[in-house]
Amino acid sequence: MTTIHNARSAESLPADTRAMIDKAHADGVETVWDRLAAQEPQCGYCVLGVSCRNCVMGPCRIDPYGVGPTKGVCGADADVIVARNLGRTIVAGASAHSDHGRDILEAFEAVAHGEASGYRITDEDKLRRLAGEFGLETDNRDINDIAVEVADLLFGDFGSQRSQVTFVDRVPKPRTDKWRELDVVPRGIDRENVEMMHRTHMGVDNDYVNILLHGIRTSLSDGWGGSMVATELSDVLFGTPAPVTSTVNLGVLKADHVNVAMHGHNPLLSDVIVEAAADPELVELAKSYGAAGINVVGLCCTGNEILMRRGVPMAGNHLMQELAIVTGALDAMVIDYQCIMPSVTEVAKCYHTQVISTADKAKFPGATHVSFDPSHGLETAKQIVQIAVEAFPRRIGGRINIPGEPVSMMAGFSVEAILGALGGTPKPLVDAIVAGSIRGAVGIVGCNNPKIPQDYAHVELTKQLIANDILVLVTGCSAVANGKAGQMMPESAELAGPGLRAVCEALGIPPVLHMGSCVDNARIIHLAAALADYLGVDIDALPLAGAAPEWYSEKAVSIGTYVVASGITTVLGVQPPVFGSPNVVNLLTSGLDGVVGATFQVIPDPVEAATMIRRHIETKRAGLGLPTIEVPDV
Amino acid sequence: MRKVFIHADRCIGCRQCEFACATEHSVSKDYFTAFLETPTPQSRIHVDPGPVPSLSYPNNCRHCNPAPCVRICPSGAMMRVAEDRVDVDPELCIGCAMCAVVCPFDVIQFGQVSGTDVPVAIKCDLCPDRLAEGREPACVEACMVDALEFGDVNEMVERVRQTGSVQMFALTADEEPADPLAAWRACSAAEANVTA
Repeated sequence: MTTIHNARSAESLPADTRAMIDKAHADGVETVWDRLAAQEPQCGYCVLGVSCRNCVMGPCRIDPYGVGPTKGVCGADADVIVARNLGRTIVAGASAHSDHGRDILEAFEAVAHGEASGYRITDEDKLRRLAGEFGLETDNRDINDIAVEVADLLFGDFGSQRSQVTFVDRVPKPRTDKWRELDVVPRGIDRENVEMMHRTHMGVDNDYVNILLHGIRTSLSDGWGGSMVATELSDVLFGTPAPVTSTVNLGVLKADHVNVAMHGHNPLLSDVIVEAAADPELVELAKSYGAAGINVVGLCCTGNEILMRRGVPMAGNHLMQELAIVTGALDAMVIDYQCIMPSVTEVAKCYHTQVISTADKAKFPGATHVSFDPSHGLETAKQIVQIAVEAFPRRIGGRINIPGEPVSMMAGFSVEAILGALGGTPKPLVDAIVAGSIRGAVGIVGCNNPKIPQDYAHVELTKQLIANDILVLVTGCSAVANGKAGQMMPESAELAGPGLRAVCEALGIPPVLHMGSCVDNARIIHLAAALADYLGVDIDALPLAGAAPEWYSEKAVSIGTYVVASGITTVLGVQPPVFGSPNVVNLLTSGLDGVVGATFQVIPDPVEAATMIRRHIETKRAGLGLPTIEVPDV
Repeated sequence: MRKVFIHADRCIGCRQCEFACATEHSVSKDYFTAFLETPTPQSRIHVDPGPVPSLSYPNNCRHCNPAPCVRICPSGAMMRVAEDRVDVDPELCIGCAMCAVVCPFDVIQFGQVSGTDVPVAIKCDLCPDRLAEGREPACVEACMVDALEFGDVNEMVERVRQTGSVQMFALTADEEPADPLAAWRACSAAEANVTA
């Protein structure tokens, strides 16, 4: 069969990926690349965003050539259909992040009331700082009382009683003034999502600009709402990340250990699993089966959460989830939610791997479900680790192959850690930017997508930017990609241009800073806001950009939208389904500039994207009256 | 001479023609239940991916005359049933697949159809029931972007020439024919080219 996307056979594929794709083929195991090939060609209506199944007068499709129908049964044209679809995509992404945030908040509240086993308030200072930021009394108060009040306040953010969610107070005033003028200040996390579902019902909002403005508001309820709640309270519960060195790629699996991979996004369970894996009785049980010990590793963003805080080794990003099982050495994959392919249970059937689902809202037929309840966190974690240990003796000898040696990477760059490395103030970073030794900073975030050679766009874009003195901040799959490529150690400063290299060497930091999971993109916008406040300008004046070179998910659309709406131009490496409406495309790629001071760009080639980003940063530098350089064509 | 003409540059890969074809070649001919039938109805038109995601090709039997498949068929199953239609008699088919071997367009596949218990040649029959009612073949009717068109081949070619190839000569060197999907095609091509 002809294939359109040949990303599976790209020369640039990481060695562990290539080895395990070959092994999957030899073992007769179907993977994500096979399923993409089977889907091709993918439906042009859906790719262009001009199919609508919001009601059953339809489903409808718009002929993008304008020969067939140009309107759905209800009369919606391509602009309305594309905008409604995009609006609902943002809702799905924002809801995923925010529901994750609410789960953390519920656990936090249980801890505050002394009702959770295995959890405690780890970073009391951060909780006091947050309470102070929220205007709550903190002097001479019991930490649990403060926690109860913070929990109440943040629960309020999810409802519809407020004029704005709490963390909007962190946004520089010129930016909130702009939002107020546009009427897009997020009022309640759940509210904006529900309102978008209402607006995109047939016969409600039929003005594509008005729909997309609410898309901005919905995404802001994620970035400055649900995601930020998740990040900040995870720090309070599990500790605020500080620089830590660990290892990455499938080589972190150990042939002689019980291997447990934590996969998904929520740190609630993974954090106690790390504790349970050190339980002497369970370690003894593992040894009784002939294992040397219990080895917990991470996958995807759950992996990033425990890497950031506990230095747990990272097995891989999104496209590694099936391949980790294909090693034949993974005894259990413990999953919570988001980005977990339904296929993992199918792949696991070919090996001995136990897939253990833990979230009642995310069940996987073929997995063993162990319902996770924060009030019995540690007990549940021990039960899960025991299942992993008992799978160890069932490994299939001839099917085990752990590829290669792990690579070192540094993680743990929370906003607090970055400011700490700078001596407590953004001044050294701002001075370096003003002097031009650092041209600017770019957040490279988002997923893997089998349409793009895995990690290539993340790694190549990062390489180009750091070589040209641009500091790179990474989260999610991008962090794992760059870690595997050896770009995230202090020694990696030698890959940077002379200006960035000098700064990194002086501070002992890598040129690519791991800021966490995908909800932790909230850390990036928080840092951007702090820089803007320090300079007394709006965020859109700063020499910054965002990039999602290999994005695939609805969450990425919400992230991209809140980043752009916060004033940071963002480059996508995979086309979003909007090309069926030239009006929407024009709005996103140029019209937004006059509205929020930032736009989306779609540039699949990472080298071209780097050039565009460098020019954008020089333009922003010029706007601030800083020295600029000419960026030549590629 | 009637043909299903393929305007490949218009196909956007939705595969609605495949769905419509399979349904037309079911017992019930009903969209909502046809896929539940045994044997499962199969499409005779095949939308294959092109070199980039914005290009795909709906491939089907060209009803050649003389037809290599008819000439080579040893059992007489593959036969010319009208000047512009070649069809298979599943009762006579012995499944030797020589028709598939000689087909210049690789559009003959094998599978069970209603009333047979062994795989037989399956290919486009131009929807005889529909033609008898004065309707278009199912794939053509399903195509919303006019990538498939049914009619007298000379009339269709002449029209394409007037709107397409002749216009090309009228363009000056720096003009290009307007394509409403140019931005999408450029982006799709760029995406598929990220192969380092």
